[in-house]
Amino acid sequence: MNSPALPPTTWTTGTTEAIKTGTWRAALPAYRKTPSPCQLACPVNGDIAHWMQQAKAGDWHGAWTTLVEHNPFPAVAGRVCHHPCEPACNRAGYDSALAICALERHIGERALAAGWRYPQAPAGARHVAIVGGGPSGLSAAYQLRRRGYAVTLFEAQRQLGGLLRDGIPPYRLPREVLDGEIERILALGVDVRLGVAFTTEAQFARLRETFDAVYLALGARAPKHLAQLDYAQPWVVDGAAFLAQANAGKTPALGKRVVVIGGGSAAMDVARTARRAGHEVVVVSLEAEAQMPAQREEVLEAKDEGVRLLDGAMLRSAARAGARVRLDCVRVKFHDGQVDVVPGIAFCLHADAVIPAIGQDPQLAPLRALLRAAGTLLWTDAHGATSSEGVFAGGDAASLQRFVTQAIGMGKRAALEIDRWMRREQAAAAALPLPVPFGAINTFYHPGAPRIAGGREAAEDVAQALAEAARCFSCGECTFCDNCFDYCPDMAVRRVNGGYAIAGDYCKGCGLCVRECPTGSIVMQEELR
Amino acid sequence: MGLMTDLLCSGHAACPGCVEALSLRHVLGALGPDTVAVIPPSCLAIMAGPQPLSGLRIPVYQPALATSAASASGLRRALDALGKKDTQVVVFAGDGGTYDIGFQALSSAAERNENILYVCFDNEGYMNTGAQKSSSTPHFARTGSTPAGKPTRKKNLTAIMAAHEIPYAATASSGFLPDLLRKVEKARAIRGMRLITLLVPCLDGWGVPEDQGIALARLAVQTGVFPLYEVEDGYRFTLNEPHKSRPVRDYLEGQRRYRELDEGVVATLQREVDEGWARLLARL
Ligand SMILES: Cc1cc2nc3c(=O)[nH]c(=O)nc-3n(C[C@H](O)[C@H](O)[C@H](O)COP(=O)(O)OP(=O)(O)OC[C@H]3O[C@@H](n4cnc5c(N)ncnc54)[C@H](O)[C@@H]3O)c2cc1C
Ligand SMILES: Cc1ncc(C[n+]2csc(CCOP(=O)(O)OP(=O)(O)O)c2C)c(N)n1
Ligand code: SF4
Ligand code: SF4
Ligand code: SF4
Ligand SMILES: [Mg+2]
Repeated sequence: MNSPALPPTTWTTGTTEAIKTGTWRAALPAYRKTPSPCQLACPVNGDIAHWMQQAKAGDWHGAWTTLVEHNPFPAVAGRVCHHPCEPACNRAGYDSALAICALERHIGERALAAGWRYPQAPAGARHVAIVGGGPSGLSAAYQLRRRGYAVTLFEAQRQLGGLLRDGIPPYRLPREVLDGEIERILALGVDVRLGVAFTTEAQFARLRETFDAVYLALGARAPKHLAQLDYAQPWVVDGAAFLAQANAGKTPALGKRVVVIGGGSAAMDVARTARRAGHEVVVVSLEAEAQMPAQREEVLEAKDEGVRLLDGAMLRSAARAGARVRLDCVRVKFHDGQVDVVPGIAFCLHADAVIPAIGQDPQLAPLRALLRAAGTLLWTDAHGATSSEGVFAGGDAASLQRFVTQAIGMGKRAALEIDRWMRREQAAAAALPLPVPFGAINTFYHPGAPRIAGGREAAEDVAQALAEAARCFSCGECTFCDNCFDYCPDMAVRRVNGGYAIAGDYCKGCGLCVRECPTGSIVMQEELR
Repeated sequence: MGLMTDLLCSGHAACPGCVEALSLRHVLGALGPDTVAVIPPSCLAIMAGPQPLSGLRIPVYQPALATSAASASGLRRALDALGKKDTQVVVFAGDGGTYDIGFQALSSAAERNENILYVCFDNEGYMNTGAQKSSSTPHFARTGSTPAGKPTRKKNLTAIMAAHEIPYAATASSGFLPDLLRKVEKARAIRGMRLITLLVPCLDGWGVPEDQGIALARLAVQTGVFPLYEVEDGYRFTLNEPHKSRPVRDYLEGQRRYRELDEGVVATLQREVDEGWARLLARL
């Protein structure tokens, strides 16, 4: 070679990491734990996506620990909760909703069978009084004890449980399940005073003076009355009293045929309990069958068991006629709280007894001078504080959402609020979060799988429970699947401290990581430069 | 998956969301560091970096567009002469550089059964130069040079190479990463000429949003447009999951290169896919 002027060889001096492609982007992905729709619909705000993931991995104790963070009654809820989480489930928009309630029951009963206990609660100097030992009072007692408050619980009756015992029949909620979950709470150290009823204004006033704070969970225990019915007659037995006696094993003797009046859960329980005691049972409800406030499954089960339903009907009057009682009724149309009599269709029924079960109101008489009311209820703010400082209220006494888990959730919220108030902390500004939308779930990673067949008992078997839990999308709950890491074309997702972080120097903002996330745990955030 | 340190470096100049870059990352990961790459002009060469910076943590040789397989053959022999028989020689080339411009070199290397792995990153066009058609561009797809849609069908590279009776020819997709990685690992362990055809959606060239590349790669397989299969020694066919289960329309819908297709054209494409699928099944 005789050419003296060859161009100099260019050696590779480094990598493209010197080029910061992050300057290209307009939006940056961010990892975010967004609540699942089931969690936002759950009255106790249970972290369902998290315990499902633990259940999926067979970590039953972990799953139970997550459940009882929000609700000390998972086995009870697994049997009687109205499960608003399920219609909210993102999987409903894909194939069918998760059987959340059945899985909760599986975990709750597994915990009872295994004898799992709560860790010991710290002893505390500050003392909270709770009036009412139903689900709401017990939930508050549990949450307060765990946070180190001394708790004294006053209950008018001889046993704890409220309507879980006096209302819900044992065939739906076996008493060993109820007793097991109550006992576990009491083992945290709750000072329980049974048979103590607060009935006067002075008693309530003194209570507030004696304790650092008070939670009123009195329930709604005064039956509403039908004007058409003379409650003094021996053949009229109120539904609440009937159930309380029947549930305690002392079903009242009523003759062959009974008419139950009402269309809610309580009426269904009365009817089915009477049916089990051998009565012929007719239910008269204002609502047409499809409008009845009772849960649909209860109505169907009642009919299956031989309960006769006269829906869209109203009692006009009832009177003794010879050895029996004659009930005069009319057909009605019920809509938007209005009752329209359908002209010309009157009929009469004969029965031996009438059991009205049309709802209950709180007994506010001794409290009226002390606390503000809101209609038939105690008034509270969104956190459960009443109009009197240091007095909180929840459950059926303060809500028309008459559900067990609603009462439990209100007990939890009140306990958290009492804790905050005692520590004189500012209330956190509560922005209402939006749930993970179905569109944020990449369903490629969730092959279609049918929901477990059957009702609340369906997940009894471990294999079934595992298969059902595996269907959960884990909405908003990172499963550390590595997809975001694996699908970044720019190696901009880095593993750090057991999680992930985005390398802003290189992320071009394509959003592929967000798209390929099976759980909706990453969102794109616009960047203004 | 997931090497601790990737052999593809951040900072490369591929478009945001590029499936070609993502595929390159994982092919490199499965091959490991004892690899020498031949990369002809293409988007891959852009990712390989502007000198003196490199986008790959392995040696790269950039030949002329027509000569990838010949260059790889030479490199192979040089490494063998140095006793580096375990070092893999791979070609990472585009479809233009494979189906068209580099084809005679490839066919000859296959005929000689050179001990190289040839990975074609098939984005169905000359994308680096602004999206012109190649012989890999599918029927009816619009490109810069086929503005009314391509009047002819796509060449079947994998079948052509299998017809050379090379030890291994396979199709793969980043939409099905475990299958892709398995194939690269399998090919790495075979001696002689090996070919893997990767379908890589080109976001800009196909008219697809930046976060949709993987979803589209999956649809190509699920609709049977791009079946996943392997051919050993030219005659042993294996069909891989998933099989054709969706109408071709699902694949066409999200792509601007197929905009305004009339129903008759969609039906024609469906028929072509169905016939191709049936022919493939007949080979099993
Ligand atoms: C028949 C029936 C069936 C039901 N079935 C279901 C169901 O399947 N699912 C569901 O979600 N919900 C159901 N409910 C509703 C649910 O039971 C209630 O919403 C829930 O129990 C309310 O809880 P609570 O703690 O607020 O009140 P309660 O359960 O009523 O408890 C209040 C407690 O306070 C005590 N108490 C009241 N006043 C005083 C006082 N002055 N001093 C001391 N103690 C006092 C009472 O004795 C009682 O133990 C049903 C209700 C009825 C009536
Ligand atoms: C012989 C020759 N003709 C044309 C070119 C210009 N050129 C550079 S890259 C390229 C496109 C190659 O297309 P393809 O192989 O499909 O790779 P892609 O850009 O799509 O990744 C062309 C035509 C060239 N470098 N050499
Ligand atoms: S898929 Fe799982 S996390 Fe998502 S809403 Fe349903 S139960 Fe909740
Ligand atoms: S995939 Fe990578 S480049 Fe794309 S947005 Fe996510 S982190 Fe950024
Ligand atoms: S892709 Fe997987 S690892 Fe990444 S955030 Fe989503 S769930 Fe977590
Ligand atoms: Mg190309």
